[in-house]
Amino acid sequence: MKLGNYLRDRLWYYLIAAAALGLMLLFLAAYRVSGQLIIFITSIYLISVFFEELTGYLRKRQFYAELHQKLDELDQKYLIHEMINKPDFLEGEILYNALCDANKSMCEKVAEHKRRSDDFRDFIEMWVHEVKLPVASLQLMAHNHRDELGEKFTEQLRRIDDYTDQVLYYARSKNAEKDYIIKETSLKRAVANVAIKNREAAQLAGASIETEGLDITVMTDGKWLEFILGQFMANSLKYTVEGREPVIHISAEKLEDRVLLHFRDNGIGIPESDIPRVFDKSFTGENGHTYAKSTGMGLYIVKNLCDRLGHGISAASERGSFTELTIAFAKNDHYLI
Amino acid sequence: MSKIYIVEDDKSIREELAELLRNSGYEAECLTDFSNSKADILSAHPDLILMDINIPNLNGEQLLKEIRKESDIPVIMVTSRTSETDEVLSMSYGADDYITKPYNPTILLLRISAVLKRAAGNTSVQSYNGLQVNDAKGSLTDGSRDVILTKNEMIIFRLMLDRKGSIVTRDDLMTALWDNDEFVNDNALTVNISRLRSKLAELGCNDAIETRKKQGYVLK
Repeated sequence: MKLGNYLRDRLWYYLIAAAALGLMLLFLAAYRVSGQLIIFITSIYLISVFFEELTGYLRKRQFYAELHQKLDELDQKYLIHEMINKPDFLEGEILYNALCDANKSMCEKVAEHKRRSDDFRDFIEMWVHEVKLPVASLQLMAHNHRDELGEKFTEQLRRIDDYTDQVLYYARSKNAEKDYIIKETSLKRAVANVAIKNREAAQLAGASIETEGLDITVMTDGKWLEFILGQFMANSLKYTVEGREPVIHISAEKLEDRVLLHFRDNGIGIPESDIPRVFDKSFTGENGHTYAKSTGMGLYIVKNLCDRLGHGISAASERGSFTELTIAFAKNDHYLI
Repeated sequence: MSKIYIVEDDKSIREELAELLRNSGYEAECLTDFSNSKADILSAHPDLILMDINIPNLNGEQLLKEIRKESDIPVIMVTSRTSETDEVLSMSYGADDYITKPYNPTILLLRISAVLKRAAGNTSVQSYNGLQVNDAKGSLTDGSRDVILTKNEMIIFRLMLDRKGSIVTRDDLMTALWDNDEFVNDNALTVNISRLRSKLAELGCNDAIETRKKQGYVLK
């Protein structure tokens, strides 16, 4: 609160005070009061106005300065009333009470939305587990009646499973609660699980997978990592070069402070201008328009999961020759017991 | 014939699973009433239990814990829940393996046979037609000559030997290879099989592997 602003705000009061003083002097003069007394009365009047204004200004300035400062520092500004002292002047009190009421209603609204989104998430989680039962059942049927149904049928089932997993992990990546377990996870085992799960798809594409140096453990959640690698795998099998035998090369590299997991394919690659945006939500890029339709959600969810787990992720590619995605796992002793 | 006990509350999965196991030469029995699970399972004296986590009454993890108090029957946990917690918990309660739904049936069968083999103390066949299989060296020998098999060839030969006389599909072979971290494609499988054939011929077993059109291979 600047002094100038405060004075301007009080202009009407000063005008009235000046008018009152003028009127008073007029009466005093009319009653022929002595000049000395007039000066004395005027001084008392002016001094009292001055001190009254000064204390008023200081009280308000202290409150508003604190309010502004706290507001700047606060990350969640709607919590401001928790941070300030209750003011000792009327207008401040009115404002303070209004803030409290507004905040209370805001908190109720937030809680309601949180409850709704939690409900929805719980439902999604439950739904995904339920829908996996008929998928499992169909998969067994397909196997028991292989002659009629065969691998193409199984492959479509795997796609359904893949999309339901996307929903599950999207819900998980958006939730504030910690529902992952970071523990020592073998890269070899995670890669093997993902490979086995995608065997039919890989076989249909004629792809082979090479691994190198995966006998390393990293600190991560195994299931989340498998989902992430599954998304990479699905992309690599989708964007292959016609006439070239697809090869996926998965290798791990141990650096001083982190472990890098490289996932490289020999597919169509990503145009250079699209690379910075591959992790954006709903970004499909040129490949998504030209080759196979994509939702643009896979890598976006992957990025979210990596952020939550504290892993780094980056993409590199050359058009028509390769795409390489790299996950960086911190060697964090903090997690070790 | 090994008896496998299925603890699964989804009727459709239960029946398909039983059919799968019976087709693969196992005896399958299912739990249909979950009010007295533990006693029913134990009184059936199975060789292996396939247990779902999400079952009525006592859940799979608790049931496993109860069973472990009295028996060390091999147990494979099966679940549609994909969380690390369930896996860690199941393994700590003494499960022998853990598989997530929907599972690849071939993998499931491989895991079942692996767990059964482990429980029986590995009694797999060690000889074929006068040839000795040396797992440690990864070789086949007829006493005088030693032929080294690559890892892939050994995996293929082992699977065929375990099912000697019956058809092994290319799909089964692929699954077995992939389950052993050898992620090869179709062409590589063909190459591996022809190399295995010539190595067997070197040891005097000509035409040991017969091709059945559109079905697979048979080790005679």
